[in-house]
Amino acid sequence: MIAISAKNLSKRYGSVAAVDAVSFEIGSGEIVGFLGPNGAGKTTTLRMLAGLVRPSSGECSVLGKDVPGPTLREVGTMIEEPSFYPYLSGRDNLRHAARLHGDVDGRRIDEALEFVSMQDAASKKVKAYSQGMRQRLALARALLWEPKVLLLDEPTNGLDPTGIAEVRESLRAVSDTGVTVLVSSHILAEIEKLVDRILAIEKGALRFDGTLQALLNQMGGAAVLYTVRSSDQGRLLAGLSELGYEPQPRGEDGADVRVPVAETDELIGRLTALGVKVTAATPHGDDLEAAYLRLVGGSGRPS
Amino acid sequence: MTPLMHVVRAEAFKVAKKKRIYVLAALYWVVLPVLALIIGRLLHTNLADSFANEVGSIDQILQALFSPFGLATISLMAPSFVSPSLYMVAVVLLAALLIGDERSQNMWKTVLVVQPNRVAVMAGKIVVAMGALLFLMVGAFLSSLVFGTLGTSFLPTTFQGDWANLAWLYLVQWLFLLAPVVLAFLLVFLVKSGVLGVVMVLFLPGLIEGIYTVLNSLLQLQPLNRINAIFQALRIQQAWQDAPRYFFTANLYAPARSPGADLVAEIASEAGANGAEFQGLEGLLGLGLGIPHSAAVIAGYALVFGALLFWAFLRRDID
Repeated sequence: MIAISAKNLSKRYGSVAAVDAVSFEIGSGEIVGFLGPNGAGKTTTLRMLAGLVRPSSGECSVLGKDVPGPTLREVGTMIEEPSFYPYLSGRDNLRHAARLHGDVDGRRIDEALEFVSMQDAASKKVKAYSQGMRQRLALARALLWEPKVLLLDEPTNGLDPTGIAEVRESLRAVSDTGVTVLVSSHILAEIEKLVDRILAIEKGALRFDGTLQALLNQMGGAAVLYTVRSSDQGRLLAGLSELGYEPQPRGEDGADVRVPVAETDELIGRLTALGVKVTAATPHGDDLEAAYLRLVGGSGRPS
Repeated sequence: MTPLMHVVRAEAFKVAKKKRIYVLAALYWVVLPVLALIIGRLLHTNLADSFANEVGSIDQILQALFSPFGLATISLMAPSFVSPSLYMVAVVLLAALLIGDERSQNMWKTVLVVQPNRVAVMAGKIVVAMGALLFLMVGAFLSSLVFGTLGTSFLPTTFQGDWANLAWLYLVQWLFLLAPVVLAFLLVFLVKSGVLGVVMVLFLPGLIEGIYTVLNSLLQLQPLNRINAIFQALRIQQAWQDAPRYFFTANLYAPARSPGADLVAEIASEAGANGAEFQGLEGLLGLGLGIPHSAAVIAGYALVFGALLFWAFLRRDID
C-alpha cells in the first residue's frame, strides 16, 4: 500500500520555484530519508504533505487520501524547530495536543513521555527545557495518537551525538512497528544508518530516489574509505599496491585505502589470494557523504 | 465528539492555564465593586445626615448605584466607559492568547496537523473566547451580588431592581462582543507582529471614527468647500451625516450604556428639563441609539469581519 504519494508537486513563490514537479511514492512501513542542502525544498515539500502549504500545482496524498484532509489525523509531524506553549509544562502541552486530536487515551501521554525518557521533566514548564528536551518532547507529541505516518523535518537538529543516537534508536523502534517514516536531513551521515531509501532534492527538484547503495553506484567511481589491518603491515601495503590501490600506512598494523564501490565485496578475498592475512577491514562513511555532495552539486549548498 | 468540540476542549484547557485571565477577572470582579462600595460608604457617612438628604435623594443615589442591583449595573456599564474599554482589553487578551500565540510560538503548524479541519479550529477558538467573556461577565454579575449583599449591612440599600431586564442587557452585551472578537482575531491573524495587531484592535476603530469627526468639523467650518460640494453633487451628504449611527464603537456598548441613558432620562424628567439640555451626554451614552438598531449594525460588522477572518484563515499558507 502507498502511504505517501507526491505527483508533480510544485510550489512557486512568485518566479521562484521552491519545489519543482517532485514525484515519489513511499510504501507503507518504509523509512525514507529526505536529503538536500538547506533551502533545497525539503521543508516546503513536508509542509505540503502536512497540508500546511497549498501546492501551486500537482497533488499529494497520505494514506490514499488527498491532503489536506482528515487522514492527517493519522500523521505525526515534527516540522522545523519544535514548538510548544512555553507557559505550559511538557505534560500539559501533550494534554493540549491530545484534546485537540480527540482520539488519544490519557495513558498514551505517559507512554509517549516514557518512550522519549521525559517522565522526570514532564511537569516542568517548556520554557525551561533544553533544545534536546524540546526535540524529544516533539517526538513524543508526534507519536501521541500512534500515527501511521511520521513526517520529520531535521529531527536531530541541535542534538549532541548521544541525543542523535537516541532519536535514531527511537525512530528505528517506531518504524519496526510498521509506521511509515519520511525523515529529512541535510546531513547524510545522520540518517544513513536509519533509512532504507533516500530521496535527494536540490533546488526544488528531485535528483535521486533509491537505496544508499544505488546512490553510490549511480555516482560511478565513488569509493569507500577502508581501514584494513594485518599482522604484517609491509605485506599488507605491498598487496594493496599490487591490486592497484594507493594505501596510506595507519599505525603499526594497518593501512587506509580507497576502494571503488564495485570492488568492495572482493577486497578481502583478493588480499587473501595474495597471501595477506587480513585481521580487520572497516569501512568509513565519508565517501558516501562525498557521493551525496557530488550529487547535490559539490558544496551541498544551493547556488 | 466533533472536531469543533475537540478544539473547544483543547483551547479552553489552554486559556484556563493562563494567569492573565485570572488577573483580569480579579480586577473586574473584586476591584470594581470594592471601589464602588468605598465611595458609597463615604457618601453615606458624610451626607446621609446632611441637608442634602432631606428629601432622601442621597438614599436614592445609594440605592441606584451601591445596592446589589446598582453594583450589578455598574459592573455592566463601567467597563464600557474606560478607554480602552475593559471589554476590549479582555477581547484583546484573548485574541493574543488564542491567535497571536499560535504565530509567536510557531504553533499553527502543530495545531493544523493535529486538527486539520480549519473551520473547526477557528470556530472553536471563537467559541472559547466567547465562553471566557461569558465567564468574566457572569462572574462580575455574581460578585456584584455578593459585594452588594455585603453593602446592605452598612448602607441603606435593598435588593430592589429590574433584575430580569439587567440580566437581559448582560446577555445582549455579551452577544455584541462577538463582533470585536472576530475583528480582533482577524487583525491579529493578518498582522505578523502580535503587538501591532493588539494595538490595531484597541485603537483602529476609534482612529477611523476620530478621522471622521475631524473631517466633519472641517466641513462644517466651510459649508461650501470642495469636498462638501462633491458630497452634495453625489447626494451623499445625508449618508455622511448619518455615518456616526453606524460606527462600531458607538453601537458596540449600547446594551451596557442603556441603563445610563435611562438614568439621564429620569434625571431630566425629574428636573423638568427637556432632552436637548442633555445632548452633551449623548456621545457618552451611545447617541441615543436603540438596542435593536445597534444589534443590526453590530451583526453586520460581525458578519463582515467573520467572513474575512474565515476567508483569510482557510486560504493562507502556514509558514
